[in-house]
Amino acid sequence: MRELAELAAARDALDPRRVIRALAETFERWRAPGSPERVRLAREHGVYSAPVVERGVKLALAGWNEESLASLRARELSDPCWVPPVTAVWLAGSIPTAAFSALALPLLAGSAVYAKPASADPVSARLFAASLAETDPAVGAALAVGSDSKALDDADAVVAHGSDATIALVRARVGPGRPFVGYGHKLSVAAIGPAIEPLVAARRLALDVALWDGRGCLSPAWALALDAPRGRAAELARALATAFEELEDELPRGKLEPGEASELVELRARAAVRDGTRLEMAAGASTWTVALESGEVRPPPGIFRFLSVVPVADVESLGRFCAPLAPHLSCVGHAGFGAERGRLAAFAAAAGASRLCPLGRMQLPPLDWNHDGQPPLRGLVRWLDVEGAEI
Amino acid sequence: MTRAELEREVLGWIAEGVTAPTDDARFEALALALFQLQIERGAAYRRLCAAFGCDPRSVRHWREIPAVPTGALKEARFAIFPPEATLRTFRSSGTSAGARGELELDDLSLYDASLEATFRAFICPDAERLRFLVLAPSAADAPDSSLSYMFSRAVERMGTATSRFLVGADGWEPDQAIAELAAAREPVVLAGTAFAFVHLLDRLEARGETLALPAGTRVMETGGFKGRSRELTREELHGEIEAKLGVPLTRIVNQYGMCELATQFYEPTLRTGVYGDVKQAPPWVRVRVVDPVTQKDVAGGERGVLAICDLANTGSVLALLTSDLGELAEGGFRIFGRLRGAEARGCSLAADALLGAR
Repeated sequence: MRELAELAAARDALDPRRVIRALAETFERWRAPGSPERVRLAREHGVYSAPVVERGVKLALAGWNEESLASLRARELSDPCWVPPVTAVWLAGSIPTAAFSALALPLLAGSAVYAKPASADPVSARLFAASLAETDPAVGAALAVGSDSKALDDADAVVAHGSDATIALVRARVGPGRPFVGYGHKLSVAAIGPAIEPLVAARRLALDVALWDGRGCLSPAWALALDAPRGRAAELARALATAFEELEDELPRGKLEPGEASELVELRARAAVRDGTRLEMAAGASTWTVALESGEVRPPPGIFRFLSVVPVADVESLGRFCAPLAPHLSCVGHAGFGAERGRLAAFAAAAGASRLCPLGRMQLPPLDWNHDGQPPLRGLVRWLDVEGAEI
Repeated sequence: MTRAELEREVLGWIAEGVTAPTDDARFEALALALFQLQIERGAAYRRLCAAFGCDPRSVRHWREIPAVPTGALKEARFAIFPPEATLRTFRSSGTSAGARGELELDDLSLYDASLEATFRAFICPDAERLRFLVLAPSAADAPDSSLSYMFSRAVERMGTATSRFLVGADGWEPDQAIAELAAAREPVVLAGTAFAFVHLLDRLEARGETLALPAGTRVMETGGFKGRSRELTREELHGEIEAKLGVPLTRIVNQYGMCELATQFYEPTLRTGVYGDVKQAPPWVRVRVVDPVTQKDVAGGERGVLAICDLANTGSVLALLTSDLGELAEGGFRIFGRLRGAEARGCSLAADALLGAR
């Protein structure tokens, strides 16, 4: 592909410091008050409401600055390695900041990027590329957005996001000779212990759900509430309903497609008829739903601001709930565990989680997080181990 | 009205056939009576109505009867008779992840009557008995499949003694089916799942052969592909059937049904001689196209979710909300397949699928 040769030439003209500066300035543009880029994305995105896009992007990019970029690069790429001239990045899903980091990381590693946007979000990658080019045209020339699947064959490395089936297909197409990093489907859970006021926990949890409407792999699919003393889970469920209601104007949910609305209606109907489940819903609207389960069951995972609160007896029960989720568990957002946090971490790790974070920050992973347990940059390059002294 | 009285009324209507007057007043009266009965006896239906803020006593028109999302039937038992009275349970194929849909029956008379009336009217309108070749297992081989039950019942009532099921409990051999079809000298009813047809067509393609089935043959396909074959549009599938089996489009019918319903829907192609994609509902069934959240009818001509009110579903719920996209059309409705769900626009997986759960 001619475009890939041009991208490789553009990256050859760059030094890492310039790339870091350009990325940092671009992130700064996106999080600045009244950022025109953010406003435009909020207007054009289509899946989420404008306030969710505005807030989600602003909050997520908070720590993505020159220092963190430089430190990540220094930490991960200090040893000798071969950096692929061009990395093809196949995006999936609809979360803008996930697209931003997917584009930025190979650039930070020193590769040029050919990116195919996700069908559900054709906007984020293009706007990010445009803002990078505006910040520094030379760095911007190392990032192209297109849809030519030949890039999967011709690029020097490939990063793919999508379903497990898609990842398997792309992995097979890429073959063994080139670096390949795949990010399949994941899900996350929220865990709420007794050492926090229910309304405080609920407000944090509601934010984790409201940002990206429960669609993301970092969105809590269930809220596991330690029901000690008995009735705490019910208190949390009531508080969560209040917290969702509080967010109705501030962070309204995006419009659902008919299939999505149908899925939500089915979730609500299943909860309504499940033995012992108590349902609270937005009055006359589908915008939020809280289902309080009667015991340690595994209801269908929540999405579109539907969340089941599952009472669990103790941290061990919480671990039992999470265990079958491996290898699909990504993040455990937690609050109120106090000294039990260490045990919670042990259970989460055993269940395959790769991130344990405070409730309210589930949608705000730092740029250097080990996404799905994979180091952010090290998988993008090929390593050279240099052994022994020069003879 | 008691359930027995209601069933007698519905049976009477079914006996009048698919060309009986649609009679809205008759439908309204029966639907409302049946709804009240199902609410009285069905705890799950009552819970659903309560959660969605519907007071059953305030329901005055059949369109106001809350349609139960089919997924809810996977979560709770909606049958209005005791479990020990169950004579037969049909389950969905379960190829898509998650729990399987079910229909429990304590009496098959209404189910059979609706099945036979529609099958005869839309597939065998011109002959008392025909030879069936079925690309699906028989009811004996797949006892919980409503599709197999339908085919077995149709063969029993409308088939000749030489009718055959070409798929067994352990699968089938397309080459044997091809030999059977190639040897056919009289018109047949070739019926089966869409994916079985694709396997048959693919085998013919691999052999570099085509068939010319006897004049008068008709094809009925149903059930979608369920990831078991390459996927074709309805038009592509029918085009290949015409080209490779020699059956004209005017003798090919797609059926729409689901295991949770007693009644199935067909295109009236064999009755009218005109190939089309509009499916007809018999007089004892009504189909609405709704917004799934409000369950209100969408504006005329718009697409929405199909909601079906089937008077033959006496033993569980008469009103079901499907997950299928459709639109109303002159003489019936069109279906555009399964609605695209969450997986299309998010990165979290519908974890029913992920966990293969429940």
